[in-house]
Amino acid sequence: MSSLLIGGGMTTHAFASGLTSLGRVEVVSLMKTKSVQQTPIKGVVKDAATGQGITGVSVKVKGSSTGTSTDENGAFTVQGKVGDVLVVSYIGYKSTEVTVSSKADLAISLSGSEDALEEVVVTGYSAQRKKDLTGAVAVVNVKELKTTPAASAVEALQGRATGVQIVVDGAPGSTPQIKIRGYSTINNNEPLYIIDGVPYEGKLSWLNQNDIETMQVLKDASAASIYGSRANNGVVIITTKIGKSGKPQFNLDSYYGIQVPNSGRFPKMLSPQQTLDIENRLDGTNNVMPDYLIAGPKVGGKDVITAADVDMSKYKYDASSRSDFYQITKANKAGTNWFDALSQNAPTQSHQLSVLGGGEDASYAISGGYLKQKGTIIHTGFEKYNLRSNTRFSAFNNKLRFGENMQYSFTEGFGMGVNTNTAGDYIGEGSALGFAYRIHNIIPVYDEGGNFAGSVGGQYGNGENPVAIAYRAKDNKNKSNMFFGNVFGEFDIVSGLTFRSSFGMKYENYNGVSYTYPNPEFTEGSFNNGINEFFGLNKEWTWTNTLNYKKTFNEAHTLSILAGTEAIQNRNRQIRGKGNGFFTMSSLDYLYLDAASTGRVSEGSGSVGSLFSVFGKVDYSYKDRYILSATVRRDGSSNFGPNNKYGTFPGASAAWRLSEEEFMKGISWLSDLKIRAGYGVTGNQRIPANQYLNRYQVAINSSSYPIDGSLTSGMWHNAYSNPDVKWEQVSALNLGVDFTLAQGDFDGSFDWYNKKTKDMLYLLPLPAVAAGRAGSPYVNIGDMQNKGIEFSLNYHYGRRQESAFKLDLSATISRNVNKIVSLAPSVTQQVYGSFRSMETSILKPGEPLGAFYGYKVIGIYSEADMNNASVAKYEDGKSRAGGLKFADVNGDGKIDANDRTVIGSPHPDFVYSFNINAAYKNFDFMAYFYGSKGNQNYEATRYFTDFGVFRGQKSTRVLDEWSPTNSGSMIPSQVRNASAYEYASSSYYVQDASFLKLKNLQVGYNFDTNKVFGSNTGIKKLRAYVGVTNLFTITKYEGLDPEVTATPSTYPALGVDFGVYPQARQYMLGVSLGF
Amino acid sequence: MKKRNIITVLGISLTLLASCGKSFLERDPQAELPESQIVNSKGIEASLIGAYGILNGNVNGTWGNYSSAPSQWLFGEVAGDNAHKGSEATDQPNMNMIEFHTPNSSNDNLSQMWEVYYEGVLRANNTLRILKADQAGGKTVTAARAKEIEGEARVLRAHYYFYLWRVFKNLAYVDENTTDDEAKTKPNKDDVLPKIIDDLKAGIANLPATKINSQAGRMDQNIAKAYLGKVYLYQKKYADALVLFKEVIGAKDLRTMPYQNNFNVLTKDGPEALLVSKHVINPDGSGDNANVGDMLSGLNGSNPVGCCGFYQPTIDLVNAYKVDANGLPLLDGSYRNNPYKSDFGLSDDAKKAYKLDVTLRFDPRLDYTVGRRGVNFYDYGVMPGDAWIREVSSGGPFVGIKTMIPKSLHATHTASGAAYITDLDVNIIRLADVVLMAAECQVELGDLGAAMNLVNAVRERAAKLPPKTTGDNVAAAVYVVKPYTSFPDQNYARKAVRFERRLELAMEGHRFYDLVRWGEAKTVLESYATFEGGFMSRYKGLNYKPQNDYFPIPQSQIDRSGGALTQNQGY
Repeated sequence: MSSLLIGGGMTTHAFASGLTSLGRVEVVSLMKTKSVQQTPIKGVVKDAATGQGITGVSVKVKGSSTGTSTDENGAFTVQGKVGDVLVVSYIGYKSTEVTVSSKADLAISLSGSEDALEEVVVTGYSAQRKKDLTGAVAVVNVKELKTTPAASAVEALQGRATGVQIVVDGAPGSTPQIKIRGYSTINNNEPLYIIDGVPYEGKLSWLNQNDIETMQVLKDASAASIYGSRANNGVVIITTKIGKSGKPQFNLDSYYGIQVPNSGRFPKMLSPQQTLDIENRLDGTNNVMPDYLIAGPKVGGKDVITAADVDMSKYKYDASSRSDFYQITKANKAGTNWFDALSQNAPTQSHQLSVLGGGEDASYAISGGYLKQKGTIIHTGFEKYNLRSNTRFSAFNNKLRFGENMQYSFTEGFGMGVNTNTAGDYIGEGSALGFAYRIHNIIPVYDEGGNFAGSVGGQYGNGENPVAIAYRAKDNKNKSNMFFGNVFGEFDIVSGLTFRSSFGMKYENYNGVSYTYPNPEFTEGSFNNGINEFFGLNKEWTWTNTLNYKKTFNEAHTLSILAGTEAIQNRNRQIRGKGNGFFTMSSLDYLYLDAASTGRVSEGSGSVGSLFSVFGKVDYSYKDRYILSATVRRDGSSNFGPNNKYGTFPGASAAWRLSEEEFMKGISWLSDLKIRAGYGVTGNQRIPANQYLNRYQVAINSSSYPIDGSLTSGMWHNAYSNPDVKWEQVSALNLGVDFTLAQGDFDGSFDWYNKKTKDMLYLLPLPAVAAGRAGSPYVNIGDMQNKGIEFSLNYHYGRRQESAFKLDLSATISRNVNKIVSLAPSVTQQVYGSFRSMETSILKPGEPLGAFYGYKVIGIYSEADMNNASVAKYEDGKSRAGGLKFADVNGDGKIDANDRTVIGSPHPDFVYSFNINAAYKNFDFMAYFYGSKGNQNYEATRYFTDFGVFRGQKSTRVLDEWSPTNSGSMIPSQVRNASAYEYASSSYYVQDASFLKLKNLQVGYNFDTNKVFGSNTGIKKLRAYVGVTNLFTITKYEGLDPEVTATPSTYPALGVDFGVYPQARQYMLGVSLGF
Repeated sequence: MKKRNIITVLGISLTLLASCGKSFLERDPQAELPESQIVNSKGIEASLIGAYGILNGNVNGTWGNYSSAPSQWLFGEVAGDNAHKGSEATDQPNMNMIEFHTPNSSNDNLSQMWEVYYEGVLRANNTLRILKADQAGGKTVTAARAKEIEGEARVLRAHYYFYLWRVFKNLAYVDENTTDDEAKTKPNKDDVLPKIIDDLKAGIANLPATKINSQAGRMDQNIAKAYLGKVYLYQKKYADALVLFKEVIGAKDLRTMPYQNNFNVLTKDGPEALLVSKHVINPDGSGDNANVGDMLSGLNGSNPVGCCGFYQPTIDLVNAYKVDANGLPLLDGSYRNNPYKSDFGLSDDAKKAYKLDVTLRFDPRLDYTVGRRGVNFYDYGVMPGDAWIREVSSGGPFVGIKTMIPKSLHATHTASGAAYITDLDVNIIRLADVVLMAAECQVELGDLGAAMNLVNAVRERAAKLPPKTTGDNVAAAVYVVKPYTSFPDQNYARKAVRFERRLELAMEGHRFYDLVRWGEAKTVLESYATFEGGFMSRYKGLNYKPQNDYFPIPQSQIDRSGGALTQNQGY
């Protein structure tokens, strides 16, 4: 029966029917005809698809108050007579009316509902009809989601649900940055995932997008508070595909694509000659470009390089020291385009095979997949193998149901920084992309001997060859073996009362290696070599027990009560080994730590944590008209000390279906209208362990001293305590409207919310007088607010009209306004995001998280300004005509550190998406736009390209530099010895990064398999499609990609662009085969 | 049946609840120690070592520890007239602001200095705190050892406070009796010098005259005495200071201790060493405990070091090493006449044709302090000029040498892959420093003869330096340094002693603090800026203000204290 089809972590029946609603099944009404007088009428209600009995189905005699509901076998008995009409209804199924035509037992078959409102969604330990939702729950159209090829399911979620903002970058297997309804905390904003009922925190690149059956995002606290202390950032509930009764159904999905770097967006740089012209002008010199940059110890432009110096017999790249090294490099007078050199067309492919099937008391779903994506930055890529199985069994007349979900996934990222654990990990001035901005373009990629050329000699700055960085990282690997799954059993104790127990396990075994090659061509390079290897495991078990009672009283009152406990324990353990001084780096086969001659070191670390919770939930509805839901959860966490170990998180919500009221019945264009209100409290406990204790550390690097010449280990107080540390809390109010108009042609929803974070877990840095350089503890201080609105509107044409042309349009728009309400009383502001001499970002009450911070540019100093004492000048006395003119914010007549102010925000005013799905006969078409409006990026790369900080490339922007004759320009004139104020953090770096992207465009064709393969074919479905992703981007932003993930820092430095891994355009060809 | 099932379920739930009780939610720190583990002899000794660990101005890591370097090169030398920041003009702009005396409170070099040395203070405090707890309870440390530990920790604390005081002047004083909560909002209104003096006196009383366990890095009585004398000197308590300096010098004869041994990784812990920051390359080859504070001075360009090219000697300093026919320095400032500036400012062809003039008369300490074109630089070969300099136009034609070590020692005395991170110890107080401080005291106390004898000891030692050579293996200059024959008056004597101090200790982190101490910072630095600005215009036009004698309190620290810390006057 259908309850076999339970997904982990949700109640039986509802989910099963939800599943059925997705499959199309025929209504098979088996009726017998003979009429009799009032008498018990017996029957069985079964699922049309699975043939299993359905429990709890409402069976009413039309026009009377008589009614009942089915038992655990789907059987019912009701008083009636031949000729009566029985109304049979159950959530997730099409209601049906059956005329009693004989005394014989009825066999009633219910088929899944096609009505979107009847769709059943999982919302936390239980499931509901979409129409009964009282909280803000975004139900993701998984079918549409899957049309966007992505290594990570989260990446594809972009724009698919209102209120969910995702920033992705182009790195294969990258970890997108996801936030739900804004930043609720200054800490980690990743949501909690519930996969088949098992909570999961972390990146999701191991999960196969194709295995996802449903995805719901619990956005507001009333919906999420059942997940209590980990739900502050929202909860994403994922269920995976499960088996169906019937013959095995095989499905093969494959695509192949080519990613093409968007070279049109590469930054434009001056040619070496143009750069030299500027330098000559500034220095009053007449230097010409040298023919050679380096020949052994002689450097072009400083020394005379003779023919004898460039004798290739002297060339020695493979040296062991500077003095031994002899490189000969010609100048690339045409200029190297480092971005071109770093980019490539990259293939991507994905193949998935799945089989679903089952019988009376068992079902199964098994799938396997392979994905390989090369990166458009050379020598990067990602590969994933995954295998999934779930099986369901039932026994004792379906009173006992049990099964398992299991996934195993092997992922491997290779190359520079790919597949990191934090969004943006590989962005930074020292990354290949960072150096592509910075290295001088007179330097060629390769020298005369075919080895990498570089900045050695120092006369052309200190950029490192980014192609060399990428090449040398080509064998760096980051691998993970992830096992994730659960076993569960549930038992119907009495009708309506179900006990369920689920034991989930995550076991990740990860390892990686990175190689250090000598980089002698780099002016700050070394001859060192080495490897760095790590192994580790992440283990987490979750044991969940729930009791669920469901009953309908008097056919009008539906009550569902859930109570449960959950225990979670996790452990992480890692070992790392390093070594250097390898005899050779020429063969990976040689590179094991045993072969390291020097610097062998081993390190290890670990963490443990546990959580224990009790929770309860009550859902009540009256005639589908008034719906109430209340939840409460009490969590205890090992992260907190005896003073505050436990936290309680309540939530309540209600909905009123106006369209069910008599006074609304007459409105023909209104099919359904529901208003919702919810309020709830959620928590956050994602902080490092043991903050409530003072901790001391013995560490070679930070507490040792060579007291007798050799290193002696000592100890230091490395972490200060806050015994009172407790839960961070979000309390949120949500008001919403769901509507369906014109017989389902239009539907949509609107939500308004106000989310307040209090007792924010804040890594409040203590003054050094109290804590020195040691770690400060988290304290609960500071408030943050997110207010927003979300609107989605869908239009459907074709299905109701039974037209050959079908069209679905959907548009979403989400606006979130983030504001830090207060920090600690002692903290008026916190400046962070240190990058060389800049500090890019700030936490300040009244401003959004990560607002950009610096001097506000109000123009360029003119000669007149310089002679006008009333125009504020830099405090260092080095202002000049042609330099940036800043606002004298405090009005003291001079520009100094006190004039820094908020200069921009990385947060968009709103994000929006537009999706077109159309089908005509065998053709289908899909286009998907995603946009963000009003967000700004901090284009930190301008530090190097616009201000001449370090000798390197210059942006073509400087061609428009200010001059007395070009006084309208906002580009400072080029200068030597600029005041540090000129290139300090200022609004010059802050750029509008609004964008609109055509994320995906796809055309498919469904072949008539009988025509193609003949009528005896076993092939049931064949669809082929062509698509292109990231076809265009409309933006004014001049960086590589307007989508910039946060740079890791104490607090996330949002939108700070040091050179992101840009998203590529991808052309793809795919096929989907069913048999 | 049904009832029984319900009971079963409840039973399971209760068992579950019970099993997930208190202990399930208690987790001990991983790879860290709770307080209960450290109050014992082992913990106290380890904490003391941790307190020594800040002598190198670094908690961990290599990059970023520049301003807190034990050498104090940035505040002590770049802020003075001995050194340029170097590198490129736009590199480390916050250091430019230190160099040009336009620092603002957001300068990361200031917060680095403040945080690291307060970390040192807290480590000393923690050692004293747990020592006290042990002595009041378990007494796992013997009384004799407890006395020594107290002495060691208090001298360390004195040193850390003194370093902070020189830079910031107005400090918040915390000791082992201060609670964490008090420390968070402690105002910076304490006069810390008396507390420093107390600590140093305790050091003198508690520490043995010889090194504990013969461990070269340990504090001893001589160090405490020299340091206390130095603090007295800063307070102009010349008589008190002199007594201590005389005790430290004792019968030691500087002339028997080669000058160059002070900057040689093979002759660490020599007889001249008093307080040093000891450095070592970690067993794994990493550099956290090495001389990371001075790493940026690693030479740039085509030489065996390959680093960053910071910390370049000034033209003014180089010329100060000129001597007259009598082998005496040009105290009247005439050393700036007809300045020697290597190949600086020559046109391309003239530069290529440049040849070192070996007939110039120089104090030999010049070439043990400065690398200049045409002179052999350790075993790197002849210093080629611009090819070793990152940006001559802003940094000048010279490079430093005191922080560098011979190429032949790179393999064994530098961090792996980073020849600019060496295990060279850094002198914080060495005997010549004490001798010259004693000379200052004698001058101010009016015993000019004694002062001259002390200065002459330094000069006679310098005269023993072997000549440096050119590529042609001839002496790179006419090296001559001779003792003074008379100090005609106190003013002359004062000038001579101060000039000697500059020559002997140049690039060792004393200069700016000395100028401030002498009240000469404004006149000397403005005059220097005019002279140096004649070559590199960025140095022109210094307007040295009274508040430039000290630096602003880091704004980030004021913020963190909730305003309990207040900004120094003038900033």
